[in-house]
Amino acid sequence: MNHNPFHWGRPSDSTYGPYNQQIAHASNVNPMARQQQQSDFPTMHTQRPMMTGTSVLAIKYQDGIVIAADNMGSYGSLMKLDNVERLLKVGQDTIVGISGDLSDLQAIQRILNDLEIDESYDAGDDEDALAAGLKANHVHEYLTRIMYNRRSKMDPLWNACIVAGFDDEGKSFLKYVDLLGVAFASPTLATGFGAHLAIPLLRQRVDSEADVKKLTKADAIQLIKDCMKVLFYRDARSLDKYSMAVLSESDQKVEFHKDVKVEDMKWAFAKGIKGYGMPQL
Amino acid sequence: MDAINVDINHLKKGEVSLGTSIMAVTFKDGVILGADSRTTTGTYIANRVTDKLTQIQDKIWCCRSGSAADTQAVADIVKYHLQMYKANNNGKSPSTKIAASIFQELCYNNKDNLSAGIICAGYDEKNGGEVYTIPLGGSLHQHEYAISGSGSVFIYGYCKKNYKPNMTKDETVNFIKTSLSQAIKWDGSSGGVIRMIVLTKSGIERLLFLPDEYVNA
Amino acid sequence: MTSIGTGYDLSNSIFSPDGRNFQVEYASKAVENAGTSLGIRTKDGIVLATEKIITSKLLVPNKNKRIQTIDRHVGVVYSGLIPDGRHFVNRGRDEAESFRSLYKEPIGIPGLLDRLGYYVQAYTCYNSVRPFGINAIVGGIDDDGPHLYMVEPSGVYWGYYAAAAGKGRQTAKAELEKLDLTTISTRDAVKEAARIIYLAHEDNKDKEFELELTWISKEETNGLHKFVPKDLLEEAIKYAEEEGDDDGSSDSSSDEEMDD
Repeated sequence: MNHNPFHWGRPSDSTYGPYNQQIAHASNVNPMARQQQQSDFPTMHTQRPMMTGTSVLAIKYQDGIVIAADNMGSYGSLMKLDNVERLLKVGQDTIVGISGDLSDLQAIQRILNDLEIDESYDAGDDEDALAAGLKANHVHEYLTRIMYNRRSKMDPLWNACIVAGFDDEGKSFLKYVDLLGVAFASPTLATGFGAHLAIPLLRQRVDSEADVKKLTKADAIQLIKDCMKVLFYRDARSLDKYSMAVLSESDQKVEFHKDVKVEDMKWAFAKGIKGYGMPQL
Repeated sequence: MDAINVDINHLKKGEVSLGTSIMAVTFKDGVILGADSRTTTGTYIANRVTDKLTQIQDKIWCCRSGSAADTQAVADIVKYHLQMYKANNNGKSPSTKIAASIFQELCYNNKDNLSAGIICAGYDEKNGGEVYTIPLGGSLHQHEYAISGSGSVFIYGYCKKNYKPNMTKDETVNFIKTSLSQAIKWDGSSGGVIRMIVLTKSGIERLLFLPDEYVNA
Repeated sequence: MTSIGTGYDLSNSIFSPDGRNFQVEYASKAVENAGTSLGIRTKDGIVLATEKIITSKLLVPNKNKRIQTIDRHVGVVYSGLIPDGRHFVNRGRDEAESFRSLYKEPIGIPGLLDRLGYYVQAYTCYNSVRPFGINAIVGGIDDDGPHLYMVEPSGVYWGYYAAAAGKGRQTAKAELEKLDLTTISTRDAVKEAARIIYLAHEDNKDKEFELELTWISKEETNGLHKFVPKDLLEEAIKYAEEEGDDDGSSDSSSDEEMDD
């Protein structure tokens, strides 16, 4: 089988000869470029992120979810911004944490804002109608459709998102979706560097849904704080200032903490490190 | 669809670019924009007295960095949109945020074809001085002060340590002058004179500092 | 409106010899017989109210809302053909969204009305369409404070301190004129709106109705268009019923004068 998706569904070149692009002016690739490059890959849009945000972390605990993301906006290795909010509140009690391209993050923010307005039209007079209407599972499904649709146009929104909130039944909801439209759920989730550094730490405490029941709110918050610390130690694109949201199932509330600082770092052991092998002063 | 197709990539490569040092700073009475005046093609200085500060509305201005052609085109389109806004809203002047939002919309939707880094700053009675940046990808951010362009990377630390909120006009002019003089000194793509625009309640003022006036700032 | 169209009322795009557009005038007739709606502009907000005629006992009480939201900060109530009103509201939502997508901020109320007025007017110019059979009262808060407008089938729209449409509009207007609209608080205006709707219902006595009330206020709703909370609605209805009883006994004669 030919694994290049752009050759699928076409008459094979070996039987019919190469496809003549002049027919129906089928290609939107300009002729000079076509001579140079072999493939007739469609014109592409966002192909590399410029301003970026790093990891988002989230974990379920016995009565909800803790989710966190730092406030840094990177431009390559330059910290261009130190005040970016990457945890978006959607509706009454859904938090969407977004990593990746910041211009696309803002596009998602606008899309979700429009969704929120659309949903509020028919909210009626019920005080909690909006809350009842737009729940985290709806936001996530909508976002999945947006992300998959854009990747299918070869014009992805260059982000990985974690949606935390409550579903229709008021149960904790935690799911992931990224630039390819790939979506999955897990009691512990992380994007970017966090997927490498934080997930193993989070899974030490919560490996499966069964472990969620054992984790208290205080422990969950501490665990996320510890992971943000590890990320600050080891992710060269991270910041020691972050936002954290704590969702609790029992009262269906979201606490939003801004400007949380990384605490209890250990650096003093540097004193004992001298040279790189041979004894020296 | 089948119009004459020109590969513009080789044109883009030799493009006139504003390897630049630009900034905008809010202060007590409004906002001040500042820029160097060097335009380069490669290492040749195409213009040594460029004006990179562009008026979009009476008291909404922008500093342009990136491709000269792209940023001029974008600035012209934003200017058009703001005139339309004014015409459609009973002569009500658009806010700085609206101007910045249109820059953002254009830069985001055309991100593949543009190299434009823009600082949009303005003054209005309601919001006072405001500064927004639209960096390369087309996102939008508000700041108390902003620096941008190739020379800005040398003065991140200096500006962070020396900026104070609610400075006087003289303090702000000096802050910009010293910051840009350092950016110009260390960045080969920045140079020439320092131009500034002061936007306050009392009006629009242009300032110019020649090299011998700022080298020791 | 005594003259008959005599052929000049068959198309939108044709004037009568004395310079009238009969289709527009007939559209106004559709409004005149509908349930009363009103809007009040207060010192920091807007109150919208409508007398929702209950056409069947099988309709679920307090559902099938009539007052709608165009954007978070803009509300609409209309008297006349309900589907026309819904179409009008949808257009308003589209305009608000397109404004937001370009300027990244909520649309101003005068700007929105410019666009909506233009749209309604366009429906009086072509023979393939008919005019809107509604009087729409649009209220909202923007940077310049509260605004209240009423759009008529001709496409004309004016800004008001208070506006009323529908069958009981004369009664309602007379009552609205008695209020001190430059100083009234939004909370008080909610109660007055309820009272006036109850009073205006006298013109439509034979039909059942339900009161619908929404408000927008910097203080009370953070600038968002919302239905008034249940306790305030009940308070307003109680006030309306008490005041109505008083009115019934004291100035029943003046009531009759107002009827046309």
